[in-house]
Formats: sequence, structure tokens, C-alpha cells
Amino acid sequence: MTSHSEHILAVSGLRKTYKLGRVPVPVLHGVDMAVKKREWVAILGASGSGKSTLLHLCGGLDRPDRVKGDQPKPKIVFEGRDIAAMGKRDLDRYRSRNVGFVFQFYHLLPELTVIENVTVGAMIRHGRFGYMAHRGESEKRAKALLESFGLGHRLRHRPAELSGGERQRVAIARALINDPDLLLADEPTGNLDRTTGGAILDAIAEHRARTGLTILMVTHDERIAERADRVVRLADGRVIEGSLPAEIGPSDPEIEVGTMPTPDAPGR
Amino acid sequence: MYQALLTRRYLTSKLMPLLAMAAVLLSVATILITWSVMGGFLNALLSSGRTLIGDAFIAWPNVGFAYYEELAEDLEAHPRIEAAAPVIETYGMVRLPDDRVELIQVTGVEVASYSAVTGFGDTLWWKPLDKPTRKDKDRRDPRLDPNNRPVLTEFVENGLAMTRPDPDTGVPLPAGILGVEVTGLNYRTSGGIYIPINGQRALPSGGIESLDLFMPRNGSVGLTLLSLDSTGKPTDPVSRVLPIANEFQSGIYEVDSKTLIAPLDLIQRMLRMEEARRVASEGADDPWGYETDPQTGELRPAVPKATAADPARVTTVLIRGVPGTTPDEVAAIADSIYEQFAARHAGEVPDAFSIQISTWEDRNRTMIAAVKKETALVLVIFGIICFTTVFLVLAIFWSMISEKTRDIGILRALGASTPGVAWLWLRYGAAIGVVGAVLGLVAGWLIVTNINAIHDWLGEVLGPWLSGVLSTISGWFGGDPILINLVIWDPRVYYFVEIPRKVEPGKAAIVFVAGVLTCVLGALIPAVRSARMDPVKSLRFE
Repeated sequence: MTSHSEHILAVSGLRKTYKLGRVPVPVLHGVDMAVKKREWVAILGASGSGKSTLLHLCGGLDRPDRVKGDQPKPKIVFEGRDIAAMGKRDLDRYRSRNVGFVFQFYHLLPELTVIENVTVGAMIRHGRFGYMAHRGESEKRAKALLESFGLGHRLRHRPAELSGGERQRVAIARALINDPDLLLADEPTGNLDRTTGGAILDAIAEHRARTGLTILMVTHDERIAERADRVVRLADGRVIEGSLPAEIGPSDPEIEVGTMPTPDAPGR
Repeated sequence: MYQALLTRRYLTSKLMPLLAMAAVLLSVATILITWSVMGGFLNALLSSGRTLIGDAFIAWPNVGFAYYEELAEDLEAHPRIEAAAPVIETYGMVRLPDDRVELIQVTGVEVASYSAVTGFGDTLWWKPLDKPTRKDKDRRDPRLDPNNRPVLTEFVENGLAMTRPDPDTGVPLPAGILGVEVTGLNYRTSGGIYIPINGQRALPSGGIESLDLFMPRNGSVGLTLLSLDSTGKPTDPVSRVLPIANEFQSGIYEVDSKTLIAPLDLIQRMLRMEEARRVASEGADDPWGYETDPQTGELRPAVPKATAADPARVTTVLIRGVPGTTPDEVAAIADSIYEQFAARHAGEVPDAFSIQISTWEDRNRTMIAAVKKETALVLVIFGIICFTTVFLVLAIFWSMISEKTRDIGILRALGASTPGVAWLWLRYGAAIGVVGAVLGLVAGWLIVTNINAIHDWLGEVLGPWLSGVLSTISGWFGGDPILINLVIWDPRVYYFVEIPRKVEPGKAAIVFVAGVLTCVLGALIPAVRSARMDPVKSLRFE
């Protein structure tokens, strides 16, 4: 049995409902899942299965539904801290220090140059005065990251001057600028052709090999999911396969509520 | 830190902020121009007042007070007093060459002391000029004509001496200086100069007589004053013909159209305020009294004897402080000096408690307050109009934030806090405000500094050009010519030849701060909206 201290992330009982006008639309029906340190987990599911929502919840961008009565509270435990119960300020700090986001559509700031798009994450993390002290170090790291992704010659270019693959590499460099523990990637190759997408995954894999980064990646493509250590399948807001690392059993205290749900047995 | 970076980039890469900046620029420039012109107008009014009476005055109207020369000496002995001038201020009736009779303010002055206090010499209008005044572009001013120089020089000499030679004998006669607008015989042109014109006089027969005269050369007025006795009661009217030595322009229409300046001794005599001997006869109660003639030793009817002298009086002493002394300080000094003076002449001059010691500003408080109120009113109206900038900035920022919704989502995903995102837009608003306000100040300053040149260009170039264009277009359709007159500040209507203006740093600072605040206020609601955006929805924003 693997110790729970090896889990970087464990979620349990996650429910999320959005509202379309006045109509509630449930997206997640009680998701349980755990990710080990240095693990590359792919969340695989069809469009609308709730995989991006799950990623946003894990990244502290959104909050799970509140439960009523004596039902167990939803938990998103990151290195022993329940981010579902965090205040706004702690959640901001969590996003800036512990996780890095990569999106399908790159989401670069069009007015900034490549290097500025990467260092902006460090600016947010360190704040006005902190960044003054870390400026040199941050810029050095940004250059190193961009060079490692083959963008050393593009530092002063604007996103509009880059190809899709180059933009996504910039986005990955931005996600990694603060040396996060967990990379959250939402269809990182979804907007790229297969060759470019493969190159992006190679770049991520290389970086992971060097640094031991934990990766939680959302995709709907089986072949891309195969690059991961483990695949968690999501359908209609429920985990249907692979919610736990193989060596972790349901008796693990941290993921007590994370019993393997099946399509026939909806999660809580 | 990221706010500073994004502010810089948004400022240089977006068109929208330029619109907000333009709105702030226009508002700031408008307010600054309005305030500067109105402030300049008030300033011109106050400085004209100083030209007329100096900084402060001591007055005892109607009856006047004696020993004024001693008082003037006491005042001038003070290190912060530059000069003091005794004058008489009274009202009289003046009969003009066209037989009109007008109520007029009469000021009796000693030229030397009056000039030292008021700069009266500079206000004389008929004097030779080497260069045309700024608005007299076609050099119509008769004072420029070299042929007129000798006679104009003589007019100046006459004006400063307040005399005019008798045309028959050449003997200098006491003469007055008339406000340039009093007679109506000087036509004020659009260039702000005066052209002497022939007047007309209505005859009893119903006809009209043309008056061929020029006041400083051969014009005279009939002056009637009501003299007062030593208790201030009117006695009898005194009239005399007063030649005019020159005319003056002080800069205030009310003064220039209703003032006559005359020699002090002449006015003292007319008002019976000159030095007089107090006489008494032995046995005055007995009309049949006799006395012995000391030379012949014979008896003769008693002759009145001077027993004392009543000193001459003036109603006012005008005072000017040394440069850097405010009118209020001068009035305070005058107060303390008069107190000592009154103590020396107890019972002979008004006591220090009763005497009027004041500044020109105090005396004309009503007029000045009206101008100040008008300034405030105009500023409030323009302020309200400029307040629309807040809503304009709000609309622009609202639109920009909608456009930048995804950027906000990205920043939130990177860990930016809600106050941090709000600060980004507030800071951006402040930056636009600062740039717009600085440009507005520069634009306002440039316009204010060149307002007369701009006004001239509008009136002389743009107006006629527009008239030509519109008349041509109108002609195509068989319409009448269209005349566009862009001369707003016409010297024929407004008394100041040029648009007065004064940019004060304090006012500019207030306008600057208001401009920046306007922008920040406009950015506030959109900033709060941006901070409250759901990051997930923002990221999905298309």
C-alpha cells in the first residue's frame, strides 16, 4: 500500500452544477480521484463529460457544490490542505504557487511579448515588491524555459506572430514559471495538428522527466491519453475507470469517500 | 507589477483609451480655459482698480478732513508705503459739448502725487505711439501718425500739468482730464482704438449743428458742483467752464464713462474746501462799531481781522504700498498711522474709530463679488458638463473590460486576486486620467496663452472663409449669402481690448486632480465588475 503522503491530490465527493438561466445543469455527480506525486494522469472523456470542470475545481478556479444536511463535504486535498475549504486569498496563492494551467486555446495575453507572457505569472506570484527582488531570477528562468521549448529566438515576439504550437509552448512555459507542483492541462493539443500536438506532449514529457512534475491532463483523445501513466475515464460527470492509482485501495483514509464508482452506482 | 506592465501595454496598443483620454483632455482644457479667462477678467478688474486708487485709502466723504499733507507725509515715511495722494472725490453735473448734462464722478488731484499712487500718467489716452496696439492691425490709430506727434506730445504735457493754454493769450488755464468714453466723441473700433468723430448738437429750432471739436484741443465742459459748508450741509451750486487737457482710459468702462479728473485746488475752491481765514471784527455784534486806524489815528468803522485759519481739506488720501505689500497690509498700516495722526489733531479731524480706511476691493465688493459669482457659476455649469466625462469613461471601460474578459480569466488562473484585477483597471483609469489631464493642461495653457491670436484667426480667417464657402453653396441653390461671424470678443462690445487671461498654478493643479479623479471614478464600476467576474466563465468567453 502506498502511503497517502505520496498523493499530491485527492478529491472526493465532488459535485458541480451550473445554471443555464434558471435551469440547473449538473456536470459532476460525485467524483473521487487521487493523483500520486510525479504521476501523469490523463482524464479521458467525451465532450460534456465534466473533465474540464473537474480540472478547474482541482486548480481552485471554481468551487464544488455545497452539500446540505449530514452528507459528507466535498474535498479537494492538495498536499494535505483542502482547497475546497480555502478562503479567496489562499486560493489565489494556491493558483499562483502550486499549480500551473495550460489551456486548449493557449490563452496568452496578446499585448505582451513572449517573455512577458511567461514572467507575468512570476509577477503575480511575487507581488510588486517581491518581483523587484526576483526579477532577474524570474527572467532567467523564463528564458531557460523558453529556450528548452525551442523559443529562445522568439522572446520579443507577440503571440500573434507565433504559430499555434509555439503559442502552446509559451503557455506551458508560463504555467511552469513558478515551478508548480502540479500542471493542469486542459486539452493542450486540442487545437493543434497531430505532429505539433505530439511535439508539445514530447516537450511536456521531457520536462517531467527532468523535474518530476505531476501532471493532470484532460483530453478526449485515447492516443494522447496513452502517453499518461494512468487514465481516469469520465462519463456524464462520473468516474468510470481508474480513479485511484493501482496500488491504492479504498481503505486509504485520505480517500475514504473515493470508492470506485461504476456507471451503475452513481458517486455521491 | 503586472498591472503596471498591462497598463503600459493597453495604453499603447488600444484605440479605446485614446477616446477616454480625449474626453479628459477636452474637459480639463475647457475648465482651465474658462477659469483662466474668468480669472483673468477678475484680475484685470482688480488691477484696473489699483490703477485708479492704489492699494488702500483713507476717506471722510463730503466734509473732508484737514492736515492731509501731514498725514500723507506720515504715510510716506513708513517703509512699506510707497506714496500717498490727497484727493477730493465728489459728484457733479457736467454739461457736454452736445449739451447733454450728465452726472459725473469728479476727482480732484495733484498730478504728481496722484501719478505716484495710481499710475495715472499711463492712463492718458492721447499720447504719441511708436507701435500700434496689438489689435490695431491696419494701423488706424491716429496716435501713430508722425504728423500728430507734436500735438500729442503737447496733449501729454497738458495732461500731466492739468492745464491747457488759453487760445488767445497762451496763458495756461486749469484743465481737466475726462474719461475717454464720456463725451461720445471718440469712436471705439474693432481694433480697440479710438477715432475722434464730429459730434452733433440738437438746436432749439429743430436743426442739428455739427460740432467740429477734439476735446484735448478745443473741447470744454461745464462743471457744476454743489459746495458744502464745514458741517456738510449743501450751500449753493458752483459752475465753471473747464477746458479738457487730455482724456484717460483706466480699463473699466464704468469709470471711463463717468469720471472727470480735475486739479485739486480748483475743486477745493469750487467746494469751498480750500484754506480759509477765520475772521472776526471787534464789536462784531455792533454794526455801528468803530476802531482807531493805527496809521492815521482816526476813528473808522471796525475792519474784520483774521483770528485763525481753516486749513484746506480733502475727502480722501489714496495710498500705494511698496511692491509685495498686499492691499490689506497697506490698509492696516494706514489704520495705525491715522490713529496717531488723529490723536495729534484731536477734535480737528475725524477720530480713528469713525474714519473709513479700506481697500479698493472692499469699496467695490459688490461688483467684484458679482464677477466672482459669475466665475463660480460658469465653472459649475462647465463642471457639470464635464462630469459627463465620468459616464463616457465608464462606457469606454465597460466596453474594454468586456473585450478583455478572457484576459481577466487568464490573470485569475495565474493567481491574480480580485483586488489585484480591480486595481489593474483603476490604475489604468488613473493612467489615462493623468495622461489626458496633462495633455489637457498643456492644450489649455497653449490655448489660453494664444487665445487672442486664435480668436483673431477665427474672426479674420475662418469666419470669412466659412462665409465664402457657405455663400457659394447657398448661391448654387439660389439662396442668399451666409455670413458667419466668429468674433466673440469684439472690442466694440467688450471693454478689455484683449481677452484677459491668467493661468494660475494652483487652479491648474485643482483642474488636473479633478481630471484624474473623473477618470478614476469612471473606471471604478467597470473595475469592480471585472474583479467580480467568474474566472471560469471569463476563460470560456468568446
